[in-house]
Amino acid sequence: MSESGAPTGVVAAPQRGPNGFALRVSGLSKTFGATRALQDVSIDVRPGEIHALVGQNGSGKSTLIKALAGYHHPDAGAAELDGEPFDIGVEVPDGLRFVHQDLGLVLELSAQDNLALHGGFAKGFGGRVLWREQEQTTHELLRRFDVDIDIHQPLAAATPVERTVVAIAAALQGWHGGSGLLVLDEPTAVLPHDEVERLFAVVHEVRKAGTAVLYVSHRMDEIFEIADRVTILRGGRLVATKDVAQLDPRALAGLMVGEDVDPDYRAPVAAKPDAPIVLETRSIAGKWLRGIDLRVYEGEILGIAGLAGAGVLELPYVITGHAPRGDRVTGELRLPKESDEWRDVGDLKDVNIPLVPSDRQREGVIFEFAVSENLSLSILGRFGRRGKLAHRQEERAVEEWTRRLEIKTETPGSLISTLSGGNQQKVVVARCLATEPDILVLCEPTAGVDIGTRVAIYDLIARLSREGLTVIVSSSDEGDLLAMCTRIVVLRNGTVAQELDGDGLTQQALVSAIEGGD
Amino acid sequence: MTASSQGGAVVTRPTETAPPPAGRPPFSRRLAAGLAFDKIGAVYVWIAIIIVFSIWVPETFPTIDTAKQILNSNAITGLAALAITIPLAARVFDLSFAYVMTLTGVAVAKFVIGGMPLGLAVLVGAGIGIGIGLINAFVVVFAKIDSFIGTLATGSLILALITMITNDTPISDVALTGGFADIGQTDINGITLPVIYFALAALVIWYLLEHTATGRRLYATGFNPDASRLAGVRVDKLRFVSLVISGGIAGATGIVLASTLGSGSPTAGTPYLLPAFAAVFLGATQLKNGRFNAGGTIIAVLLLGTGTTGLALAAAPTWSQSMFVGIVLIAALAVTGLQRRTAVASRGSGVHGGGVSGTDQPGVSTSTNLADED
Repeated sequence: MSESGAPTGVVAAPQRGPNGFALRVSGLSKTFGATRALQDVSIDVRPGEIHALVGQNGSGKSTLIKALAGYHHPDAGAAELDGEPFDIGVEVPDGLRFVHQDLGLVLELSAQDNLALHGGFAKGFGGRVLWREQEQTTHELLRRFDVDIDIHQPLAAATPVERTVVAIAAALQGWHGGSGLLVLDEPTAVLPHDEVERLFAVVHEVRKAGTAVLYVSHRMDEIFEIADRVTILRGGRLVATKDVAQLDPRALAGLMVGEDVDPDYRAPVAAKPDAPIVLETRSIAGKWLRGIDLRVYEGEILGIAGLAGAGVLELPYVITGHAPRGDRVTGELRLPKESDEWRDVGDLKDVNIPLVPSDRQREGVIFEFAVSENLSLSILGRFGRRGKLAHRQEERAVEEWTRRLEIKTETPGSLISTLSGGNQQKVVVARCLATEPDILVLCEPTAGVDIGTRVAIYDLIARLSREGLTVIVSSSDEGDLLAMCTRIVVLRNGTVAQELDGDGLTQQALVSAIEGGD
Repeated sequence: MTASSQGGAVVTRPTETAPPPAGRPPFSRRLAAGLAFDKIGAVYVWIAIIIVFSIWVPETFPTIDTAKQILNSNAITGLAALAITIPLAARVFDLSFAYVMTLTGVAVAKFVIGGMPLGLAVLVGAGIGIGIGLINAFVVVFAKIDSFIGTLATGSLILALITMITNDTPISDVALTGGFADIGQTDINGITLPVIYFALAALVIWYLLEHTATGRRLYATGFNPDASRLAGVRVDKLRFVSLVISGGIAGATGIVLASTLGSGSPTAGTPYLLPAFAAVFLGATQLKNGRFNAGGTIIAVLLLGTGTTGLALAAAPTWSQSMFVGIVLIAALAVTGLQRRTAVASRGSGVHGGGVSGTDQPGVSTSTNLADED
């Protein structure tokens, strides 16, 4: 698979710089510890084009963006912007602007203040802020994007798309177009579907001014709607750069998932049609969820699929009793193996359904703790003799689980931060399994995990399921779900839109169910 | 209730037949690791300080009497530092402890003068400390006010109460010279009782933090409350209990302090606020890689106490003592912070590096980022 040669001239943009590229990166490599995040990756963005960058979790696209933004110093690689070479990872040329996924805004401050934080305040004598002038600048910056927003209100009160627009305006400040590159890192990740169109209008506005856009996303429909060309990364390597017109969603999905994970691979789990129900929910609603009725059968691996905003990442937290504090969740849950009683999902304190969280760094791993301390955290109560922690028993349990999950660590006493991402994830899974649950819930289990470990995690989950564990996996990665699950429930707008199992479990069916493909 | 036996427990508990754990590293290696500078750097600094002062003031410094004096005059600081060690392990600040010390001292002095039996007075005094701990815990855990601000506020309220009781004049009476004075002034071969209290309290806290599940969970709460909550740790309960404990220890320390002073002074506790925090933070850089711990606190109290006593004996200007504390604290935290950063930089993913230092305070609602991907 090489770069598609034939330039089809989708965009008639002026040639700039000696080679006619807005951005050119070549031979970029970066390793973190034992993980090769990027291996010899090259990408060319033409002036004025919208260039999509796609790849699964762990494909290296975040690392590439972070290298461009100067956060990571690559091991090797060269880069130039508008024909001017720059030291990638060290300096960031003025023509290269970023809107990161978290937008980099201070929500407690107003749009005006946020724009001023990026672009500077209009100041008069003695450092006094010239508010009238500042206000005018703010209006000018936002005018081209056609948003109606109160620039004095804290941004917390603005809608997600308004915030995104403010972030884009902030990034583009002091820049008059005609050159350069704007990087949008998953700008639609937190946008409701109907607001995506408005964002696209803004992106087109930016391009019209002659600025190229590098658009990072893993939503298929968006790429086909907005991008001219697309570069696909997988496992830290460049797969291809193609004209979007030459692709269809299935071909693109194939390129993203690759052959390492056979799209037709199915977890070796036998369907058990007459298995009893182990978990049942009734009209679960929350921040995103709008009434979910689920039945989970013993020994199955149930996938939860859907776009961000559909509630895919909320459901696992709600059914394990870990909904964010302050969020109102309603609905009921029943665990028929324990009792027939319906329980309020707002109060599931004593229920043992462990959750492997989506954000390992923030919610999974305790970095200051050793591997052993991380692993045993949920079962410390077992090693007690009248309050005394029996260190020997703890050591033994840790040894046992380290071996069973094949966790690669120098010693159990090593800090967990010395482990690779995949092994850290295994430690979190081991912590959950050590509580001997009947049901395990995983949220984005392969986020930031390289392809080899990914398959190891699939195999592990399949093995546990064969031993009788019921597994619920929520993931935004279709490849994950197809490889692991015996049944997939697709959520759209907070409700169950479709259910796939048996022969219906195909990449195409899943993608179109997720996108709401009609 | 039919079932957990029947096909339920999928994953079996490690049994007795499990292979024995791989042997611990040899003693010599463990010894070398235990004596490494990044573990007990302060001990080496302490030894250096002792040598310096022994040369500087050879007649008065290197004597048994000086050693005893260092212990006697720093035991209260040590107790105060131990009071805040547990909440800090769970990353909860208790800034009110110094006022609690003053309040219980003043209150017990009043009780004793008023004719209450000594034992009862001491119990009630300790109860007051625990009561204030409960109030702090309610403010921080239930009202969800940041502990730094919340305990600053309760501290101010306690100060108001102290002024109300004492009218800003020390409470002294001949009734305070009897059994009450014995609590803090009794000495055994030149070592006063507060030193013994300090040692006992340190032992109990060491055991709690190192050898109980609660201790491990306290640290987990402090380092990453979100992950701990998901792992089944009762984060709020631990924060609550930690503040009650610090209230209780601070209350008891206040009684001991009033006894050593022989009066109920309305400003008795305040001078301990900064030294106690200095000792705990310095202590956290010792032995346990950034964990607040009893052993580290002892080392820190001795190091700081030896330095200030030595400076006093050497007739150095009085400002030099505060300066010494400040320099040691900054140097220790700078050195360990440097090590921490290098450790963070070599972290596996690096992508989300940093950001794990656990700034989450009970007051800040921790929203799970449901919408984040990648």
